Amino acid sequence: MLTLTLKEPVERVPLEAEALGPDTVAALDHSAICALPVYLGKKQCRIDDFFTVDGEASDELELRGDLRKVRWIGRGMTRGHINIVGNAGMHLGAYMQGGAIEVSGSASDWVGGEMSGGLIRIAGNAGGQIGAAYRGSRRGMSDGTIVVGGSAGLEIGMRMKRGLIVIGGPVRDFAGLEMKGGTIILRSGAELRTGAWMSRGTIISLAPIPLLPSFLPSSRYVPSFLRVVAQHLRRLGTSVPDDPAAGTYTRYLGDAAVIGKGEILVWSAA
Amino acid sequence: MGGKVTCTLGEVKNRADFIIYWGGNPAECHPRHFTKYTLTQKGKFVPLGRKGRTMITIDIRETPSARAADIALIIKPGKDFELATTIRALMKGQPVDEARVADIGLPLATIQDLVERMKRAKFGVIFFGMGVSMTRGKHMNSAGLLNIAAEMNAFTKFVCMPMRGHGNVTGADVVLRWTTGYPFGVSLSRGYPRFNPGEFSTIDLLVRGDTDATLVLGADPGATMPQPAIDHLTRTPTIVLDPKVTHTSRIARVHVTTAVTGVSAPGTAYRMDEIPMTLRPGLKSPYPTDEQVINLLLAAVAKKPAWRPAAPEELRGASLVRLASRT
Amino acid sequence: MVRITGGSVYDPANGINGAVKDICIDDAGRVVAALNGSEVRTIDATGMLVFPGGVDVHTHVAGGALNFARGLVPENQRIARKFLHTPELRAGIGGLTPTTFATGYLYAGMGWTTVNEAAVPILSAKHTHEELHDIPIVDKSTLLLMANNELMLDLLEAGEFERAKSLVGWMIQSAKTFGIKAVNPGGVAAWKWGKNANQLHKPIEGYAKITAGQIVTQLARIVDELGLPHPMHLHQNNLGVPGNVASTIETMNLLQGHRAHLAHLQFHAYGGHDWGSMKSEAPAVAAAFLAHKNLTCDVGAVLFGDAVTITADGPWQHLLYELTGRKWGNLDVENETGCGIVPYVYSDHKLVNAVQWAVGLELLLLIDDPWRVYLTTDHPNGGGFWRYPEIIRLLMDAEFRKAEVRKLPPEAQKRITLAELDRQYTLSDVAIVTSAGPARALGLAQKGHLGVGADGDVTIYSGKPDADGVMLSYPRYVLKAGTVVVEEGEIRALTEGREFIVQPAFDPGIEAFIRPNFEKVYTMSFENYPTEMSRIRHPQIVPCSR
Repeated sequence: MLTLTLKEPVERVPLEAEALGPDTVAALDHSAICALPVYLGKKQCRIDDFFTVDGEASDELELRGDLRKVRWIGRGMTRGHINIVGNAGMHLGAYMQGGAIEVSGSASDWVGGEMSGGLIRIAGNAGGQIGAAYRGSRRGMSDGTIVVGGSAGLEIGMRMKRGLIVIGGPVRDFAGLEMKGGTIILRSGAELRTGAWMSRGTIISLAPIPLLPSFLPSSRYVPSFLRVVAQHLRRLGTSVPDDPAAGTYTRYLGDAAVIGKGEILVWSAA
Repeated sequence: MGGKVTCTLGEVKNRADFIIYWGGNPAECHPRHFTKYTLTQKGKFVPLGRKGRTMITIDIRETPSARAADIALIIKPGKDFELATTIRALMKGQPVDEARVADIGLPLATIQDLVERMKRAKFGVIFFGMGVSMTRGKHMNSAGLLNIAAEMNAFTKFVCMPMRGHGNVTGADVVLRWTTGYPFGVSLSRGYPRFNPGEFSTIDLLVRGDTDATLVLGADPGATMPQPAIDHLTRTPTIVLDPKVTHTSRIARVHVTTAVTGVSAPGTAYRMDEIPMTLRPGLKSPYPTDEQVINLLLAAVAKKPAWRPAAPEELRGASLVRLASRT
Repeated sequence: MVRITGGSVYDPANGINGAVKDICIDDAGRVVAALNGSEVRTIDATGMLVFPGGVDVHTHVAGGALNFARGLVPENQRIARKFLHTPELRAGIGGLTPTTFATGYLYAGMGWTTVNEAAVPILSAKHTHEELHDIPIVDKSTLLLMANNELMLDLLEAGEFERAKSLVGWMIQSAKTFGIKAVNPGGVAAWKWGKNANQLHKPIEGYAKITAGQIVTQLARIVDELGLPHPMHLHQNNLGVPGNVASTIETMNLLQGHRAHLAHLQFHAYGGHDWGSMKSEAPAVAAAFLAHKNLTCDVGAVLFGDAVTITADGPWQHLLYELTGRKWGNLDVENETGCGIVPYVYSDHKLVNAVQWAVGLELLLLIDDPWRVYLTTDHPNGGGFWRYPEIIRLLMDAEFRKAEVRKLPPEAQKRITLAELDRQYTLSDVAIVTSAGPARALGLAQKGHLGVGADGDVTIYSGKPDADGVMLSYPRYVLKAGTVVVEEGEIRALTEGREFIVQPAFDPGIEAFIRPNFEKVYTMSFENYPTEMSRIRHPQIVPCSR
């Protein structure tokens, strides 16, 4: 395992560090890793200007420190494992194709932006645009799994096509905006405009949420596929209720402003 | 994903018989809008002028513009997105939830009537202001209105455009687009243009303290921005170019007084519909123009060691024209 | 001063087809017979192919419509080629809607040295010229959109041909352009009310008499009588519609007796009656075109992959938006024209796109008079201009082309005749359709050839096939007015191109007619309408023949 420890907090100009990923470091020796480029604004620097580098290069990468201003960690990675002991900056795991990222602290905006595979798990909070499309893109994440223990920001899963996002804490406006498919689970509900303009996909909220006028109630039941979802979530260390004795889901169909084959399932306890 | 369906202002003057002002107050903020472009002019195909037009305002309070309207719709604050979404659904004959519509502050029947009037128009236009673009929802509110206009074209001619703000913001947008490919929020730190609102847009950069120096031209963030942004401008080197000593000047390291563009300095401004207008200065000024000062700065920077950004991954080893890809 | 020596020269305008000869360029940037003096840079082009610089007769690279498109597709910019800032070069983005500096680098890098911006509205001409000012290296010309200009249409409706002619003359001088562009005559005006003009012989929307066909013939006559170097440049009615072959042939018939240039003819050569039955009618269109010797055309070929459709044909773009659900940009320009933008992708497994791909190539192969048909993709409508080398390869290598045809959906292969065509373009043919022919059609006498007096715009290919076996992929050297601007794929020098404009004669009394009408229907002072000459970088006035 390779361990990189941030020497001093990055306090002002952010550090762009897309080189920090298993695909890049696995095949390099110690001095090559130390020389990998990172960018402080417009200045190109070396990894070892900011990190101490210990251990053996492998698919396992550990990053330690408050990396809230270190961006693009794990960009496009296809394999291996990044463990961040601390916080992480914007674009964590963006364009990721495989492998896994874990963060013990919190992350920023654009976690898993346009990812197509792999697993990202964040114990603390995350920012906005999780698994989302970058501005103008037709699609957000096209597969993969993102699990956030704490709260999250705006536009979670915006234009996602496939994949799973689970948020433990409350999220802000526009969760599932223009969703095209996939599943978003909001364990503590959301603020406004959840599922706005969604055409397909499933949003499950375990707390009541305000809905747009273009979502109409359809039925109250526990859909059978919930059992499959629940099983999958247990393996990820989280859960959704799927026991009809404990409560039921009200299913809303929408968004009637667009094609509207999406659904929002809102849990209410018995 | 909709789009942006718009026109130049003369099309509105000549053809529009149905005008909606949403989240804006042109009577006070764009004082010549009604008289020059939209309401009182006799248009080529609207020979009756005001009498040939229906004007509707949608706002959270009554304004002088609302008082000039044929129909003034007052909605609850923070409901523009809900109203736009409802209109999009009703236009397509889709059902909506009546109780949640009522939360907007208008009865469903009123909104239905609005949609029918829109469809019956010969040429409809929505102008939207900061009441839409700067309230909760922001760009999604704007997208809502733009989508309404795009989708209305299945029924009749319809356009939508934003009422632009201070000075030559449209010009800055236009020039940035042709030189960098993006309208605002452009980062050149990696040697080529990148765009990401929220990451590279001004307020966010300053509030997070991502910058180590700031040049301010034609703006006064010290007057308008959140306190953390102002604090950051105070504690880092800030340079202001402005005809007046502004709030930002007072916290800046350097203030350079420059001539007023359009009054003493020449240039080109772009109207809100992106039509270029030559500025013809009428007065002389003892101060240099913004352009002269910027050129002096560039000349001073050119004397420093040259910056050569590192090539991004996909360019390493490629020459200019190895362009086998389809992008 | 430069001497290019030892290369095989392809200068079809002067009858040179591969002969090894020197090309000499003096300090003024002109080809001369010989050079004396010591300060001569010699380029050893032994084994290489020497061509006149490419001339793109129809492209969209500058101005309001293109800039609108840039803003509409940030996702394209993100994946497009990046141009890094250096002390010598400006940063920029390539792709389908390149930024201005990158546009110059890309064209020059490909060996093209003159570009014709195909669509300029008068009202925003200042904007177009500002962008052209920021495109380095290449020389430029522009075409003014007129076929839906309502001041002109009102005059034609009233039968006031002479006044209409003077108005066009005034407009072209006002906007400082080189030629006249006609797009979907009557259709763009109709789009102001959400309609179109699909019939050549019916009065257009909002008018009682004037038809699309009459706009075509009268505007062509106006351009001829003004003596403009380039004929009326026509984007015909019914672009893109299955079965439009009839409209195209009828339009060609209407243009008898006039010069005209038919734009992106590929989009106008379809048979069938709906999307499901669409097929190629390139053979019929080619035959009719060959018979009408007063016409030139550019092909507007499509390539599989991403495109951004940008056109003044507003109603067509609304249809494309409704068909595809992609993003849609629209900007109607008061009294004059409009534009519509829809990002698109041509897919090799879609029947319609496969037919479109074949039609462009069929036209290029079947129109066997290379002096009258030119290579374009109607950039960026059919594909990026920096992909022209892919088309050249398909034209020169019949085996490769036929193998590509066999990859198409079987149903598409039944709708086209491309597989039966054996013709292979020679190097001379390529030089004609990419340079000599368009230069002649534009009326730029010093372009498209390497004879004495020509501009020293030279493209030198290595003469060896590249890793894919392609002969003319990218040039080894590119010279612009005698300066080496590109060498081995790197920009070596940044020159500033010229802008060609015309100043046709017209009755000056027309201004007194225009002014009051203008003030009624426009929204600015008359004084603010014309583009000042000071905005044109290195203007060069090309004489009219009248």
